[in-house]
Amino acid sequence: MRRPTTIPLVLALAALIVLAATTDRFFTWDNVKAILSSASLVGIVALGLTFVTLAGSMVSLAVGPSAVLAAMVFLSALNAGLLPALLLAIAAGAAIAALQGALVGLWNVNPVILTIGAGFLIVGFAEKAYGEATVRPEGGGFATLNSVPLGIPVAVYVMIGVALAFQYLLTRTVLGRQILLVGESREAARAAGIPVARVVTAAFALAGAAYALGGAFLGSFNMGASTYLEGTLTFDAIAAVLIGGTSIAGGHGSPLRTLGGALAVAAITDLLLLRGLGTGPQILLKGLLVVTVVIATQRRLNGAQA
Amino acid sequence: MSARNAWRRADVLLPLASFALVLLAFLVVPGMRGEEVTDASLFNGLQGFAPLGLIALALGLTLIAGEFDVSVLGMQALGGVLAVRAGGSAGLLGVLAAVAGCGLLGLVQGVAIARLQLQSLSVTIGTYVVLLGLTNVIAGDDTLSFGNVGASVWVDQQLLSWFSPRSLITIGIFLAALVLLSATRIGPEIKAIGSNRRAGRGSGVPVERRLAALFTCSGALAGLAGALLSYSNASASLDPGLGPLILATAAAVLGGLSLSGGRGTIWGLLLGALAVALLQQLFAILALPTSTTQIVFGALLLVVVTIDAPELRTTLSGAAVRRRTERQRVEERTP
Repeated sequence: MRRPTTIPLVLALAALIVLAATTDRFFTWDNVKAILSSASLVGIVALGLTFVTLAGSMVSLAVGPSAVLAAMVFLSALNAGLLPALLLAIAAGAAIAALQGALVGLWNVNPVILTIGAGFLIVGFAEKAYGEATVRPEGGGFATLNSVPLGIPVAVYVMIGVALAFQYLLTRTVLGRQILLVGESREAARAAGIPVARVVTAAFALAGAAYALGGAFLGSFNMGASTYLEGTLTFDAIAAVLIGGTSIAGGHGSPLRTLGGALAVAAITDLLLLRGLGTGPQILLKGLLVVTVVIATQRRLNGAQA
Repeated sequence: MSARNAWRRADVLLPLASFALVLLAFLVVPGMRGEEVTDASLFNGLQGFAPLGLIALALGLTLIAGEFDVSVLGMQALGGVLAVRAGGSAGLLGVLAAVAGCGLLGLVQGVAIARLQLQSLSVTIGTYVVLLGLTNVIAGDDTLSFGNVGASVWVDQQLLSWFSPRSLITIGIFLAALVLLSATRIGPEIKAIGSNRRAGRGSGVPVERRLAALFTCSGALAGLAGALLSYSNASASLDPGLGPLILATAAAVLGGLSLSGGRGTIWGLLLGALAVALLQQLFAILALPTSTTQIVFGALLLVVVTIDAPELRTTLSGAAVRRRTERQRVEERTP
C-alpha cells in the first residue's frame, strides 16, 4: 500500500532543505536547540491529537482550551507537589476529552463541531473556576519542567518519550490496532465485533492526557496561565499531525510521523523567523501546507474508491 | 409513525419553536429582573443579527448542500481587512473589494471541492488558516483602524427605531435568497445535492456548478459580514476566533438545518439566526459574564450537534422498535 502523502511531503522537505541551506545561522547547534524546544510543546499535544485523527474523528478544535485548562489545574495544584499536580492535570485532561470521545464513539457525533462547542465550554468553565486573572504557580515544582539537562529542555525529552510510548501503544497493543481499524472503517470495525464506542473514548482520553501534559509545560514555561495562553496551539497541533502525514480520513499514520511533522512545522517557523518574516507569512505557509496535504490525501482516497 | 413525521417536519417546527421561545424569554425575563425591553434593546439585538445572519446564511447555504464551510471565519477576517484597506475614502469601494475578493477565493475553493470531490469540512479547516495568514499579511500583522468615520457612522445609524443599514442589508439578502431559492429550481436542486448527490446528478442537477456557486456565495457573504463589522467597529480584527462559527452553527441547527445536509429552509435559517441574536442580546441586557455566555453557547452547540448525530437516531429508533415488538408480544399473549 502506498503512503497517502509521500509526494507532497518529499516536495515540501526538498523546498525546506533548499531554503534552509541558503539561510544564515539555520544549521547551527543553537538554532537546532531552538527548533527542538519550540517543537516540544506543540509536539506533545500533537502526539495526543494523532490518536483522535487515527480513530477517524478528523481533528479536535478543543486542543488549545484543554491544554490551557490543564495548565491552570497544574499550576494551582503545585502546592501538593510536582507529581500530584501533574497527575491531576493529566487526569482532568483525559476525563474531559473522554467525555467528548464517548459522544463521538456512541453516536458518531460530528467530532469537529462537537469539539468547537466543547472548547467554548472549557474556556467558560476555566474562567468560572479560576477567574479572569492569570493563574500563578502555587509551588516551585514547575521549575523542574523548565530545566535544561545537557543543554536541552526537559520538554524535548518528554516529547521523544511520549512519541516512543505512543508508537508502541499504536503498533504493539490491541487498543492500538483497534484504533486503526475503527479509523479505517467504523462499520467494518463494528461488524468485526470491536467495541467502537470504547475504542474512540480511549483514543480521545489518550489525546486529552497529552494535551494536559503539553499544557503543564506551557503553563510552566510562561509561569502562569490565562485563557489567552492557547494562541495558535490548536492549529499548530493540527498542522503537525497532518503535515506529518497522518491521514485526516483516519486509519493511517503514526505518532512518529507526527513527531516529524512537529519538527517540520517548528523548523519552517524558525526558518521564516530567521528570514525576518512575521506572523502572517508563518500562518499562511502552515495553512497552505495543511491544505496541500489534505487535498493529496483525499485525492488518493477518491482514487482508491473509483 | 407520528414521531417520524414530526422528525421529518423538524425544518418547520424547530425554527418556529426556538424563535418563539427565545422571543418570549427576551420579552419576559428582563422584566423579572427589573430591566426594561426598549427599542434600543431590539435595535442592539438586530445589530448582533447583522453579521451573525450573514455568516449563518453563508454556512447554511453550504450546509443544505451537505457541505460544511469552516472557512467563513477566515473570509470574515479577510473581508474586514480588505474593506478597511480599500474603503478609506469611499466606504462602498471597501465593501465591494471585500465581497469581490472573498467571493473570488470562495469560487476557487468551491471549484476545487466540487471538481476534486473533496470533503469540505477538513479542506476548509486548512483554508481557514490560509485566510487568517492572508489577513495578517495584508494587515501587516497589526490591528487596522478604520479612518473613514463617515462610513462607520452611516452603517450604524438608527432607522425606523429598530433597524440600521447593516441589519437591513442582512434582512434584504435573506429576502433575496428566499425568493431565489423558492422561485427557481435552485432550492430543490441544492437540497437534492445535500441529500443524495448521486441521484441528484442522475436527474440532471449540475452538481459541480451549484457547489462552486454556493461556495462563492458563502465567501462573498462572510466577506460582506466582515466588511460591515469592521466599519461598525472602526477597526479590522485579524482573528475573529471560533465564536462566530459557534453562533452560526447553532443558528443553522435551531433553524431546522441538518449537519448531514439535505434539510432546511431559508426562512427557518432566518428565524434561527434571529433567535440566537436575541439570545445574545438577552444575555447582554442581563449583564451575564462572558464565561456564562460561553458556557451557554458551548453547551447549546454540544446539545444540537449530539441531537443531529446520525447514529443517535438509529439508537433511539432501534429502542423504539424493540419497545413496540415487546408490546405486541405482550398483547398477543393477553387476548
